[in-house]
Amino acid sequence: MRVAAGADRVGESGPYARHRLAGAFAPDLFPVPPRFRVRVRKLSLARLLLRELVEYRGKLGVVSSRPCMYGVFSGPLGGFAPREQLCVGCLRCTVEYPDVVQIHPNPERERTGGSLLPPDDVDALLYEARTGRVPVRGAGYRGPFGGEGWDGLWTDMSEIVRPTRDGIHSRETIATDVDIGEFPSWLRFDAAGEPLGPIPRFLTIQVPFLFDLPPSSVGSPELFRVLADAARRIGTLALVPAQWATEPALRGPHVVPVLSRFRGAAPDDLGFAPRMLEIDGWDRARFSEVIQRFPTSLIAVRVSAGADILGIVRDGARILHLVADYRGRAGGRFMGDAARSAHGQLVEAGVREEVTLIGSGGLVRPEHLAKAIVCGIDAGALDVPLWVALQGRFGAECRDRETCRVELPRLDPGWAAQRLVNLAASWRDQLLEVLGAMGLREVRRLRGELGRALFQLELEREAFSGIRGYAPRA
Amino acid sequence: MHRARDDVEDLVVAKHTEALRRGFRVWPRLGFLPPALGDARWTPELILATWVQAESGCPPGGGLEHRVGRSGGGFDRLDFTFLPAQEQLAEREPVDTSIALGRRDERSLDIPIPWYGAGMSFGSVSERIMLARAKAARAWKTFTSTGEGGYPESLFEYRDHVIVQIATGMFGVREETILSSPIVELKYAQGAKPGLGGHLLGDKATVAVARMRESVPWVSLFSPFPFHSVYSVEDHRKHVDWVRAIHPQALVAVKVSTPADVDMVAVGSYHAGADVLQIDGGYGGTGAAPEIAKKNIAMPIELAIPRVHRTLVEEGIRDELTVLASGGIRTAWDVAKAIALGADGCVLGTTELVALGCTRCANCERGRGCPFGLTTTDPELSRLVDPDWGAERVSRLYSSFQREIAGILRRLGMRSVRELRGRTDVLMYVGEGSGDGR
Repeated sequence: MRVAAGADRVGESGPYARHRLAGAFAPDLFPVPPRFRVRVRKLSLARLLLRELVEYRGKLGVVSSRPCMYGVFSGPLGGFAPREQLCVGCLRCTVEYPDVVQIHPNPERERTGGSLLPPDDVDALLYEARTGRVPVRGAGYRGPFGGEGWDGLWTDMSEIVRPTRDGIHSRETIATDVDIGEFPSWLRFDAAGEPLGPIPRFLTIQVPFLFDLPPSSVGSPELFRVLADAARRIGTLALVPAQWATEPALRGPHVVPVLSRFRGAAPDDLGFAPRMLEIDGWDRARFSEVIQRFPTSLIAVRVSAGADILGIVRDGARILHLVADYRGRAGGRFMGDAARSAHGQLVEAGVREEVTLIGSGGLVRPEHLAKAIVCGIDAGALDVPLWVALQGRFGAECRDRETCRVELPRLDPGWAAQRLVNLAASWRDQLLEVLGAMGLREVRRLRGELGRALFQLELEREAFSGIRGYAPRA
Repeated sequence: MHRARDDVEDLVVAKHTEALRRGFRVWPRLGFLPPALGDARWTPELILATWVQAESGCPPGGGLEHRVGRSGGGFDRLDFTFLPAQEQLAEREPVDTSIALGRRDERSLDIPIPWYGAGMSFGSVSERIMLARAKAARAWKTFTSTGEGGYPESLFEYRDHVIVQIATGMFGVREETILSSPIVELKYAQGAKPGLGGHLLGDKATVAVARMRESVPWVSLFSPFPFHSVYSVEDHRKHVDWVRAIHPQALVAVKVSTPADVDMVAVGSYHAGADVLQIDGGYGGTGAAPEIAKKNIAMPIELAIPRVHRTLVEEGIRDELTVLASGGIRTAWDVAKAIALGADGCVLGTTELVALGCTRCANCERGRGCPFGLTTTDPELSRLVDPDWGAERVSRLYSSFQREIAGILRRLGMRSVRELRGRTDVLMYVGEGSGDGR
């Protein structure tokens, strides 16, 4: 069918192949700081051992039995040289012998995410990049009740009233592919059945996320090749500045060259027609010019998440990349609020189904992505998690890609691409958990489904109104 | 030779058991807060205060915070507005802390304290822990739940105080255990991983656990979500009927999570014939769960209770259904606040484990399991907890909680905890500028 000819699936050999991401162990290049510092009073330990030698009459099997299951005190020198890297913070040693050993949080680890990320997020991202698996821990939730941004939002789940809204059971097949492109609201056909006017033009990525431009401080051909290779293996896209996209190795279908808003600032002569291009900023004349130059390519426009997107859509743009800073802020608003606003405006204008919204900034954990999609974006463009996965070190001030200083280690291409594939595999599996809980068979159904969002402010207003002292926050 | 090795093993266990018990006593008196202990929900103060209560049966003195955590919301921002001193009940005035489980037809059971123990399966915890909890439940004439892992024979002696749970994996569900239980709990979901079913890691599926669950040793076990036989709330009725067909006298409890439509779930459960509804908020949980599920799916219990309570009142069925709140209940004050928000009582899980020595290190799923012998099936580790010692700890915690709740009721001028239900007018919200809630 002609209409389908406009579709382009990324990362599949056939239209109905089941997409799989091949995770493989990719160890950290260098050790991360241990979570805990183990402080042993060596004199007290010596006294303890002597006392136990007497008490247990020299039974070494008893005396040498240590209070740690994880091997912290099982090195050649036992407790005299604890192996901090193995400490998981169970505290059993210090409960048993508080006068001999104390466990402290490692301040060095607290700094691993710089000012941008809490250490738990860094740990989780590294685990995901290393293993490709879903982080699992015991003992329930440990953090704040709610908060700003994504913390003030929970996703819904299905219960016995509607456990099978889509007929889904547990971990049945759930589609995570997303279409990016232009979708006219209706089709017209001539007498011969041939379409008149625009037809849908889109490409499909296998996961609802792509790779955003790296910070200016780390852009290099090696990094872009890694991003492009990982995007190919995942079935998604990597955004690459146009000046680098001219390199032959980067001319693949998984690369989205990003053109400057200003004519002549970067080469427009790419030497090939990419499937998708992005213009860094909105300029009506420039948009028309790029369309003319690349008539077969999809054209995305990169704008602030606080921008007037309705005007841009009215001027013809159909793929909008809403950009916030690395903390998810843009124009005084949080990404989630900006996405809700953009989505709502497009719904009101009756053009939501014609437009693709990509969001970036503040998407650090997979739940952020799920929540951003609930708020209205179709797909997220990842930034910070990628650099953490590659064990980048963040400078003190890291607000956005212009100001952020990231120092990446020397990248082995195979290792680096595998780390990103692992990250993607883990995030995809975690999205499946959220979607499965909601009874959704496909991530596309989640987009803008605000009925499946539970907002802290609204719930608190309902629960606590009438309780003395409660005043709804603005 | 074997004898000598056994002797050494016994001595090793005895050495560490003694050291741990000493530590639980000593730590709250160290004069400083262990720097790596606790988190925003379970602060170091709360953990140590729970240990004190499990040791002494009384709330801690010396200013150790035992009422709220530092999560910045929910129970941690709620407090009570007490009556002026002259209007409060005197210390000698008797106060009733009992609640009724099931209040329709002739089926009803009273428990003397407004809580019972949460479902924790054999496999996720050791049999010794189950036994300790069952002993405490019997001592207090309340209940504990098997969770979804079968009913170890050692619990039969306590069967009048053991709830048998039927969950989606049907592990260990047998007609004879249903028949021996005064309450049968149908678990649809759990707050720690709402909508995700259950997962027992292969390392914990020992020979004994697998035998109990009628599965294969050392193979991970998944409880699916949801029940494959339930496609709407109307289908819930057949589960209740199935239980009633086997054991007509049993109360039927339904454990659900806290989705947006938790109020409709409550109404549906009532019409399906449930006697007790347990709503399980997302911030609790004792076993392993994907991190993404803990914070992000379904609402916290503090926000779900009022929604359920109001809807049941509006439907005119509030007094026929017992509503119990769980998933984030840490202290006696949380219990009282949950009741004031609209629950009849609570279900305690993590709190009991903390009383038994849990430091909330979150390594339940790692290697041999809990290093304190709680959430483990490792034969050596599980010996660290003697059931009688454990039962005493849980009992003393209950004693302290009851004392606290009675004290709250007296200060509110109430003679029964049943008067407190839904009394949001005695609550106050402590704003962000006022420090932590208490």
